[in-house]
Amino acid sequence: MKINRTSTTFVSLAGLGITLLIAFITMFIMILIMSDTPKDTMYYFLAGPFTNKYYFGNMLNAAIPLMLTGLGISFAFRASMFNLGGEGQVYIGGLAAASVCLALPDLTGIIGIPLSLAAAISAGAAVAGLSGYFKFKWRTDELISSFLISNALIFIVDNIITGVLQDPESSLLTSHKIAEQYWFLKIFPPSNLDISIVFIVLLAFLAYFYLFKTHQGYEMRICGLNSEFARYGGLDVRKYFLLPMVLSGGFHGLAGGVTVMGTQHMLFKGFSGGMGWNGIAVALIAKNNPIGVIPAALFFAYLEAGAKSAMINADITIEIASVVQAVVFYLITAQAIYSFVQRRRRTA
Amino acid sequence: MNNGEFSIPIIHNSISIMTPFLLAGIGGLMTELAGMLNIALEGLILIGAFFSVVFAASTGSLFLGILLGILMTMFFAYIFGAITLYLKANVFITGLATNLLAGGFTTVLAFYLFGTKGVLLFEGLPALPILRIPALHGIPVIGDILFGHNILVYLGWLIVVLAWVLIYKTPFGYRLRGTGSNPDALAAAGLKPRNYQMAGILISGFTCGLAGAVLTLNLGAYVPNISSGRGWIALVVIYLGGKTPFGILGAAFVFGLAESLSNYAQGFLNIPADFILAFPYIITVTAMVIMSIVKYKAAK
Repeated sequence: MKINRTSTTFVSLAGLGITLLIAFITMFIMILIMSDTPKDTMYYFLAGPFTNKYYFGNMLNAAIPLMLTGLGISFAFRASMFNLGGEGQVYIGGLAAASVCLALPDLTGIIGIPLSLAAAISAGAAVAGLSGYFKFKWRTDELISSFLISNALIFIVDNIITGVLQDPESSLLTSHKIAEQYWFLKIFPPSNLDISIVFIVLLAFLAYFYLFKTHQGYEMRICGLNSEFARYGGLDVRKYFLLPMVLSGGFHGLAGGVTVMGTQHMLFKGFSGGMGWNGIAVALIAKNNPIGVIPAALFFAYLEAGAKSAMINADITIEIASVVQAVVFYLITAQAIYSFVQRRRRTA
Repeated sequence: MNNGEFSIPIIHNSISIMTPFLLAGIGGLMTELAGMLNIALEGLILIGAFFSVVFAASTGSLFLGILLGILMTMFFAYIFGAITLYLKANVFITGLATNLLAGGFTTVLAFYLFGTKGVLLFEGLPALPILRIPALHGIPVIGDILFGHNILVYLGWLIVVLAWVLIYKTPFGYRLRGTGSNPDALAAAGLKPRNYQMAGILISGFTCGLAGAVLTLNLGAYVPNISSGRGWIALVVIYLGGKTPFGILGAAFVFGLAESLSNYAQGFLNIPADFILAFPYIITVTAMVIMSIVKYKAAK
């Protein structure tokens, strides 16, 4: 039997379509039950993000960290490494970037911006790398260790933000504002969208090139597909316990840094909440393809923006988005859906 | 100085703190033996915590609250199991989905029913009955430590014994273990591994529902994200306990003691609350790494 590429792409796209359809139906049912004005609520949910420049730009802006966390998870998943510590890695990346900005308020942007982004990347990479190192050294399960380390870190970063870094003038739990030369250029006023989106889309293509067109990327994928085979082929399998975790953490740390310097210009307690988990969903929708991460992140940003618009203008709460996300999570790996599509196609 | 005056309340408290770890651990053990890593424990505890206190408040009966809370948790466990087993989805991803759903759904429902996303305080909720056996209470040290807890603590111990009997002394337990260790042999004998995996998941729904009920009914309130990592710690408790019910009892006690100690230390050491919250995770990950070092060295 001839299996061609377009047919497998069709099956995975159709499977994805069914998954998203079920997710939206779930949302409609919840809105019908819970909202007093279901028609308005649905309108704001579906169309809200497109009604003005501010909402639309902010939606695109919200996709930036999701692209980065999605890329980070794709790298880990391609190598069959489970990085569940994304939440903490984003958070500590934000802390590292903000610390550099706050410690060096007079540095010029040309040196300061790369320096603080490098700090964000290193912080995330070090934290995820620790789980990778435990696995490398003693085969400690990285799935649980990365989650536990991240959760411990979240509380510690909370403490630093509300303690050492807390702005005493502010009534919010936040640090001082970072100096203006660290702010990223806004490209779509009045929204928060900044120039970093261009670089991050480029980065996604670069990541694709690395994974699929370089020797190291190939080795990493082989280790992920079948580590026994890779070992037999003479690859240093243990190296690919460590490297993908470091890369994955680096992307997460960068997501934190970019959010602080591009959008918030200060460090809020809990600012990264959900970015790590959503990165996993984004990577799954994208089937761990770095370029696919771009539309998948936009879709997730749309869901959140829609829920936010419905919350502001109608009578439901924003957490309805996580219910929809959960449905996507549930079904995205369900093979039965894909084989259903395949069967239908064969009989058609 | 009499050390007993300090240590007895700490150990007494750790016995009530350990109960959710213990219950969720026993449930997770069932799926673990059936060859599935159950990441959904965390979300299932949250579901149980929310529904048991809401039902207890609306029916005015603790018993009905616990019963309906457990049934709801089993229902969510069933969804998790059905999608994993019948739609053949990745158990790790569906586990994450369950945690995400639990957090989102309880908040959406709380907002719809009570108009708030914050703490739900239920006044006039009857307190969990406390088991007092005056004759036994008089025993020095042990009497103070082991008695005077609420009845769910003792139910937890009973469940440990029942789990041991179920796993080692019944054909069901034998097959459940076979599902994890040798599914082909099970299938060759004409049995469906899937049925045993589903049974394991439903049992974990039962025990996590109860674990959640312990949290909220003790407090008489629902606090958002009240499970706060207990399901994850339960996973480590399963490993630390060597995947046996009595091992889990011991490991859960260690975590209960750690939490009780850090609560106590907070009283006079003036440690920031954030560090106290981080402490269970730090100990858990340290224990995990040490375990893997020991295992790695032993295998060498």
